[in-house]
Amino acid sequence: MSHIEWSDKFTTGINVIDGQHKRIIHYINQLTDAQKLNEPARVGEVLDDLTDYTLSHFAFEESLMDEARYDAAEIHKQTHNAFRDKISNYQQRYGNGELVEKELFELLNMWLLDHIAEDDNSYVPFVKKNFPSINLDEKQGWIKQKIKEFFK
Amino acid sequence: MAHIQWDEQLNTGIQVIDSQHRRIVEYINSLYDASLTHNRTDVEQVLQNLVDYTLSHFAFEESLMEEAGYPFINGHKRVHELFVKRINNFQQRFKIGDDITDELLAALKSWLINHIKSDDNDYTDTVLTNMNYVNTQQNSGWLSRSLKHFFS
Repeated sequence: MSHIEWSDKFTTGINVIDGQHKRIIHYINQLTDAQKLNEPARVGEVLDDLTDYTLSHFAFEESLMDEARYDAAEIHKQTHNAFRDKISNYQQRYGNGELVEKELFELLNMWLLDHIAEDDNSYVPFVKKNFPSINLDEKQGWIKQKIKEFFK
Repeated sequence: MAHIQWDEQLNTGIQVIDSQHRRIVEYINSLYDASLTHNRTDVEQVLQNLVDYTLSHFAFEESLMEEAGYPFINGHKRVHELFVKRINNFQQRFKIGDDITDELLAALKSWLINHIKSDDNDYTDTVLTNMNYVNTQQNSGWLSRSLKHFFS
């Protein structure tokens, strides 16, 4: 499998979320490399990093949806929860000595990418609308410029 | 794992935050050293110091974000909370005699690097802009007051 390139279909336009999604994709690509090179220890390491980062990202995203009063936040959270359950199931099986890397890789690869490309886009308008400071880059650029002008 | 070497990519550009992050890295490295001695009292002590310092750092960082009006502060706080829960879980397992150090060290290293490079990087512009503004208003006593408050 080749590397996944970042593209428009993944872009939400919310910088902080795009940054986190890019990192997830970066890990998926690292996982592909480790599998190609047939390095089981490295595969295990990247899987740990990827799952850890994804769970952390979910917490961030859920907080954002709550604050934006996204009306389908509960459904989105249930989707995350289903993913969390699957991950902990894999971790248990891994702990019992089962080889789960291949299945886990498929889950992360398929599920996460679909989730980013499809589900995540549905909360974007709410977040953009309810976080007035969302277009930070422009505003901050303006503030920085003003500060430089007046306070150098 | 070997010691974590500080890498320029981990710099956020906010000096006070960078020096706290470096300190956390030192604690993780000390934990690694303690784990090599297999002395439970040493490991327990270093782990406790690491947890205490990290909690102070989180509180400090959250106050910087709040002061600067960083819009995603709640998401960032959730990520901190999730991490604290995970570390508490490790501490509990350690107390009942599990050998958790290798797993914990790997988790700490991966989490910290991810968190600094991705999540922390996102608030940097907002916080720096605010700090510059505060400095130009000659009101920088706030920073030293906050430092005293969280790290006394």
